[in-house]
Amino acid sequence: MTSSGLIITESRSGDICVVSLAGRIDSSNANDFMTRLNGLISSGEKSILVDFANVLYLTSAAFRALLVATDEAERSATRFSLCNLASQVRELFEMGGLVDAFTILGSREEALARMG
Amino acid sequence: MLSQYWARAKKLWPGWAENRVERGRTRPPGLLYSVDETPPRAVLIMAALQHVALMSNSLIYPIILGREAHLSPDRLLDFVSLSMLALGISTVLICARTSLIGCGYLCPAAYTQIYLGPSLFAVHLGGLPVVFAMTAFAGILQLAMAPLLRHVRVLLPSEITGLVIAIVGLSIAVLGVRYSLGITPKGEVKSTYLAIAAVSLMTMVILNVWTKGYARTFCVLIGMVIGYGASAAFGILDLSAAVPSEGLHLLRVPALHFLEWHFDAALFAPFAIVALAGALHLMGNVSTAQRINDTDWVRPNFDSLSGGLAGNGLASVICGLIGSPGVNSYSSSIGLSTATGITSRSLAYVISIVFALLALTPPAAAALATVPAPVIGAALFFTAAFVFTNGLQIITTRLLDSRKIIVIGFSFAMAMIANIYHDVFAHGPVLLQPILNSALVLGTICAVALNLIMRIGVRKRVSIRFAPGHINSEAAEQFLSEQGAHWAARRDILNRAVFGVIQSLDVLGDLPGDTEINASFDEFNLDVRIRYAGLPIVIPEQRPSSREIVASEEGERLLAGYLLRCSADKISSRKSGDGSEIHLHYDH
Repeated sequence: MTSSGLIITESRSGDICVVSLAGRIDSSNANDFMTRLNGLISSGEKSILVDFANVLYLTSAAFRALLVATDEAERSATRFSLCNLASQVRELFEMGGLVDAFTILGSREEALARMG
Repeated sequence: MLSQYWARAKKLWPGWAENRVERGRTRPPGLLYSVDETPPRAVLIMAALQHVALMSNSLIYPIILGREAHLSPDRLLDFVSLSMLALGISTVLICARTSLIGCGYLCPAAYTQIYLGPSLFAVHLGGLPVVFAMTAFAGILQLAMAPLLRHVRVLLPSEITGLVIAIVGLSIAVLGVRYSLGITPKGEVKSTYLAIAAVSLMTMVILNVWTKGYARTFCVLIGMVIGYGASAAFGILDLSAAVPSEGLHLLRVPALHFLEWHFDAALFAPFAIVALAGALHLMGNVSTAQRINDTDWVRPNFDSLSGGLAGNGLASVICGLIGSPGVNSYSSSIGLSTATGITSRSLAYVISIVFALLALTPPAAAALATVPAPVIGAALFFTAAFVFTNGLQIITTRLLDSRKIIVIGFSFAMAMIANIYHDVFAHGPVLLQPILNSALVLGTICAVALNLIMRIGVRKRVSIRFAPGHINSEAAEQFLSEQGAHWAARRDILNRAVFGVIQSLDVLGDLPGDTEINASFDEFNLDVRIRYAGLPIVIPEQRPSSREIVASEEGERLLAGYLLRCSADKISSRKSGDGSEIHLHYDH
């Protein structure tokens, strides 16, 4: 699926649903992104890993989408984690004081091992 | 008397004398003893000896001059001893941290090739008295240049400083290879030289990379001692070059035969170029010394550069007065500091004491003055790697467009040409010898000139406008990135500015009127102003809670304002005319 400037791809690794992102996450596509994540949670997924490897940047709209999805996941007892944050993306999480608001793991392999 | 001079200096050079206060440095993780720390006494002495062993190879230049002046062995020994004394005094003057004199970093002095061509010409014109007088003249010129440095800093932006440092590294490496190969007049490589250099270099590398503690710290000294031993074993150690036929006294106060000076008008121009070339060389070295002491270094501190140049100028005046050739800071010593992690300024004082003692101890001076060429070559080649890499790291912190790439690429090539065609350029006009004979000076002059030319047409203030309904974040990002490359802005700062603009446009959304982005830049400031038709956005001091962000889009807008506040060094959001303006400021 392609939203303006953002490509979202789903794959599976065992019981874990991996959502890979590529591009920019801003107000033009944050709602689509949030709807997609909420859809996965409501469909009964119990482990969701969002891979940020190819995310160039994100704005406050993306943070809101992620926070809404985190809330939804907590309500549905779904494990919801982020991985592969590039340094400039991680800096934005740190700048906004939002590192503790999410479960942020290292590489995709490490994250799958932790969640598996 | 001194206070009167000080008051006059402050009046003559406002802003210079008062501004020697430096901002805090961030200590690099690999540093054992930083510039303001003093190592334990044993480490201090061994580290100083290591520098002395490296610096002593530059005594080859006074030896060449002494031989050209047909000095008797006795007088040659005095000349070398006085040169050692001058080296010690010069090291203190360049490294000191006082209000007017000294750069405040470990930048030991050495005799350099920059002075060689004009000094040889001076010897042929009127003997050593002309060399001494003209050396003092070059020193006076450097003293005069020192307070003016901050006014010409536009000529040496960081990417050019990085280039200069990389060329310094390259020049040391080329010299190291030349010494290591022992190339004969027929162009053949001496295999024994190569073997000795290889043993010496491998020792330094192995100790530096795979050991810790003293072995790593003194890797160059140990490598040189092993190379010295190998040279003796291979039979290439020649002490006769520095030992008079009648032998050496254990202790001997050098006689001042050389207290005579003659100025020659024909040499003012070449020595003026020597002074300028020496200033550029010193600026490259002091900048490197600043950088290796500060992880967050972004550009040269010109107060430190001015002090270093004043120290170098005064040192050259003293060299001329006591009877030695001119000096400059020594790039290999900076490389050695990087390799060993000891950049303590205290070393400078110990180095100067050691040289003073050596000046009185002919056998020790002779041993140092005859360090075999392949051993010197290995030490130079080893230290060059650290200097060169420092330069590359500085260049790559900046965004570079085709203009800057041409400046750096062409200048680097000119430096290479000076090294490759060294023998051809040696026959050029004497006036140009200080430039053509030095890869560093030729490369730097080329870079400064090209940089000035390439500034034509680069605007310091630019803008882009979006019509209602046509705001395009990607176009704004491209606009800022391209402009940042024209300005050679720091990559990290520009990334923050790009985020600031994208986040601002994102939170503003579709607007009824035009949106204009103005960006302006100088080496110290990057300012972005976004003017739009709408109300000012809120820039909160505190981050909204996760609950507030999730609850409504207003929470997200507050988060946007908070992220903008965090990403910029200063931010304001206010009404401006019929619309509003967001001003993002970044310290550069």
